Amino acid sequence: MRRRTFFLSLSGLAGCTQNRAPRLNVYNWSDYIGTETLANFEKETGIRVHYGVFENNEEMLAKVFGGNSGWDIAFPSNYFIGPMRESRLLARIDRGQLKNLGNLDPMLAAPEWDPRLEHSVPYMWGATGIVFNKSAAGGLKSWADLWDEKHKGRMTMLDDPADAIGAALKKLGHSINSPDAAHLAAAQAELLRQKPLVRAYLNAEARNQLIAGDLQAAQLWGTTSQQAIDAAPHLGFAYPVEGYARYADNAVILRESRRLDLAHRFIDYLLRPDVAADIVKDSRTASANAAARALLPVQVRENPVLYPPPEVLMRAEWFAPLPPAAQRLRDRYWTEIKSA
Amino acid sequence: MNQLRTWFLAPARLLTFGFFLAPLAIVVLYSFLTRGTYGGQGAPFTLENYTRLADPLYLEILVKSFWIAILSTAICLVMGFPLALFIARSGPQWRGTWINLVMLPFWTNFLVRTYAWMFLLRDTGLINTAFQGLGLISQPLPLLYNDGAVILGLVYGYLPFMVLPIFSTLERQDPFLLEAAADLGATPWQTLWRVTVPMAKPGILAGSVLVFIPCLGAYLTPDLMGGGKSIMIGNVVQQQFTSSRDWPFGAALSLVLTALVMVLLWFIMRRGGKELI
Repeated sequence: MRRRTFFLSLSGLAGCTQNRAPRLNVYNWSDYIGTETLANFEKETGIRVHYGVFENNEEMLAKVFGGNSGWDIAFPSNYFIGPMRESRLLARIDRGQLKNLGNLDPMLAAPEWDPRLEHSVPYMWGATGIVFNKSAAGGLKSWADLWDEKHKGRMTMLDDPADAIGAALKKLGHSINSPDAAHLAAAQAELLRQKPLVRAYLNAEARNQLIAGDLQAAQLWGTTSQQAIDAAPHLGFAYPVEGYARYADNAVILRESRRLDLAHRFIDYLLRPDVAADIVKDSRTASANAAARALLPVQVRENPVLYPPPEVLMRAEWFAPLPPAAQRLRDRYWTEIKSA
Repeated sequence: MNQLRTWFLAPARLLTFGFFLAPLAIVVLYSFLTRGTYGGQGAPFTLENYTRLADPLYLEILVKSFWIAILSTAICLVMGFPLALFIARSGPQWRGTWINLVMLPFWTNFLVRTYAWMFLLRDTGLINTAFQGLGLISQPLPLLYNDGAVILGLVYGYLPFMVLPIFSTLERQDPFLLEAAADLGATPWQTLWRVTVPMAKPGILAGSVLVFIPCLGAYLTPDLMGGGKSIMIGNVVQQQFTSSRDWPFGAALSLVLTALVMVLLWFIMRRGGKELI
């Protein structure tokens, strides 16, 4: 009997705290936050954060698509903002509540996918390039170098239709987002020609094999490449001369959220320079926050892989969503490439 | 009595309905829907997801998946039968130990074990490093990221499912039958082919089915050990639910795969697998 009363009072207590502290549900990419960020936010504001992670945009979209996922804030990539907005999944951002918005990098203050930041606030960004073993492969400069016989069996491409086909499109001088059937067919032919040279289609797994020395070259994201370079100084990196793809991940408030004020407070907190700087120190990614960048050590903020200089950035092209018919064609070509 | 029966069967019925039939019904429904512009699915109802399957691209991948599954099953049989025979014929004090050793890998997650194989087979992995150290090869052998690696991974993963059913049929075999065969002048080979193997047939069939079906639908092994270079039908299904965001087509693909397996099972049972049931 006494034990029962004890448990009853315990559950009552738990109920109390749950009611008192407001709770915010945040759904972000894995490894995309500082170790202390959430604890500090809770301490400062008294708002509890329920934090969950996803591994790719499709997984996130599948969860929130129904409109009753329970999440308040999510972090889609830029090419998912348009589709999510048109699917009426996004709430409007009230700029008046974001006093730190001015800290954003000017290149991301009016992005092409949401020029007035009505539904999204840029958080991190990154790009795809080539990482290579300086001693074994020499210096690589262009996508065309990944078609060189001398890398046969020692080179990987990303296991992702947008990135792999995008590289072939760039090699041919087309846009990374070209919906043109003839362009896509030509890009497919390039990748089929390249396949005998490709060791495998790998994503993050390529990092370990670059460090171990199994690979001479790989198409890889800048942030992942930088992690490999940190561990193995014999690796080098290049953003290809033909141009390359760039993406940005953005904070959005879901339309289903009933905690718009809390959500704005959280996003504004992430925009604070000290907070954003702590996040990139832990996650080793490129922040969309220019004021935060100024707080980073000089070798980080001038790292050419994470923060390429302006003349290199000029060659970058943002990923954009394809029209459905072109997306279907690209997926089909990708299936053909992988099964060839 | 009858009421008791109802109650005892209730959990099984609930499980069958809630975790098998209801989800399957949702998959069937989805397979007739149209893909939304940005993912999701909705009206109108359509057969297009099924007509798309007639595309030679998917047929080729399906045929290749069957070949890989058949080959893996055959290798499992060739390796598993002697092993099962050995365990069944070893003394009772050893049997438990051998069976436990066969089951031992299940104590570790399959994904972890697959990564362990990748570490062994890599260019700078244990096998290549050892061979190079011994001077047997000058260049690392391409052990990973090909069909051979996929089959190796499948055989490794599903071999116990072949060994256990064969063992259980051989264990029950009456040793006097072997003596009788020998007394009647049969050589050991003849005894094996004409006495032991026919009696083990239900185990062989059950083992083959248990290995073949997961091999046919495999997606983890071809993805990791094949490096995405030689995909099987399971990978195509997975791709529809992820990067392609085409759930209706993915649902249709997986249903066709299920139907093919069911037809195959029905055929096997008709052809003399009645002992299976």
